[in-house]
Amino acid sequence: MLMRDYWLSKLFFDLQQPALAAEFKANRDAVLARYSLSPEVQNAIRENDAPFLAQRTNAYLLRYYFFATGMKDAEFIRKLRGG
Amino acid sequence: MADFAGAFAASHGPLLVREWDAVPQNEKLRLEKAFKELGRRVTAARPDVLIAISPDHWANFFLDNYPAVCIGVGAINEGPPEPWMKGFPQHEIPGHAEFAFHFLNESLKDGFEPSLSHRLKLDHGTCIPLWRMELAKMPAIVPMLVNSIEPPMPSLARCLEWGKLLRKAIESFPSDLRVGVLATGGLSHSIGEKTMGAIHEDFDRETIRLFSSSEKSLIDYLNGELPSRGNGSEEVRNWLVAHGAAGGRGFELVDYLPVPTVIVGCGFASWR
Repeated sequence: MLMRDYWLSKLFFDLQQPALAAEFKANRDAVLARYSLSPEVQNAIRENDAPFLAQRTNAYLLRYYFFATGMKDAEFIRKLRGG
Repeated sequence: MADFAGAFAASHGPLLVREWDAVPQNEKLRLEKAFKELGRRVTAARPDVLIAISPDHWANFFLDNYPAVCIGVGAINEGPPEPWMKGFPQHEIPGHAEFAFHFLNESLKDGFEPSLSHRLKLDHGTCIPLWRMELAKMPAIVPMLVNSIEPPMPSLARCLEWGKLLRKAIESFPSDLRVGVLATGGLSHSIGEKTMGAIHEDFDRETIRLFSSSEKSLIDYLNGELPSRGNGSEEVRNWLVAHGAAGGRGFELVDYLPVPTVIVGCGFASWR
């Protein structure tokens, strides 16, 4: 069955807004605190654990998220593959 | 009575804008030529309205409510919300509420239940082709957003039926109007998956070939192959809507080229 963490997905969706993306870069924990995220998901975000996050959200949202954080596609792909 | 002005298709992808400078010169020239040739054909067809068929890349909809199909009935559509699309020349793109409502009503009458929106943002999926085709005059745009992003998605056969319904709606519209169809997206690509970056040229070329074959062989092939050809390949649904609208007679391929820099198998076509 398709698994979706609603609040993780909502965070990624909202980070398409440039103002929130800038705030996230400056103070990630303050933004994370506004979303109902489990400790495991918060850790995965802090550690850029792309495979863990990929199991819980839409692939396009995941890509937007890492783009918003400034990660290059090559690095994102490497992480997706567990590198 | 309205006339069907033609059906067209073009790939899209954020990197066609964001990584444009990095595209090798020979590929860039072919992409430019293909977009412009398609634009020339659209201009020659003189559409008053283009039904722009694209997925919504999370610009309008979220998990709260993600429609299978949404028809934009607003008098105005908003331009692309993505910051990297800021060069797109229009902040607002006129719609055509009269035709859009006719299409919506005909859909409901025929047992199709689309969602509707009075104000849609047209993201890069619609706007990259509109931009790169360099149309002499921008027609009114009626967006038809078909979910090919978030599973489960409308069946391929249903997308073909949507196209046939669209054609019926065009032909039953009571005013003089030329209505064209622009499908965007595809061909193979993979986004945010382990396979991101993969382009399946064999799949793309066989898909292109089968658009000139029977509906059954096309649908059977796609149903068998899509699960292993990258999530972006699901956007072929939009091409199926155009195919249905055009009467399924196959298309003339303007160009096809896999472009690794933009991670998309780029296809451009106009239906016979």
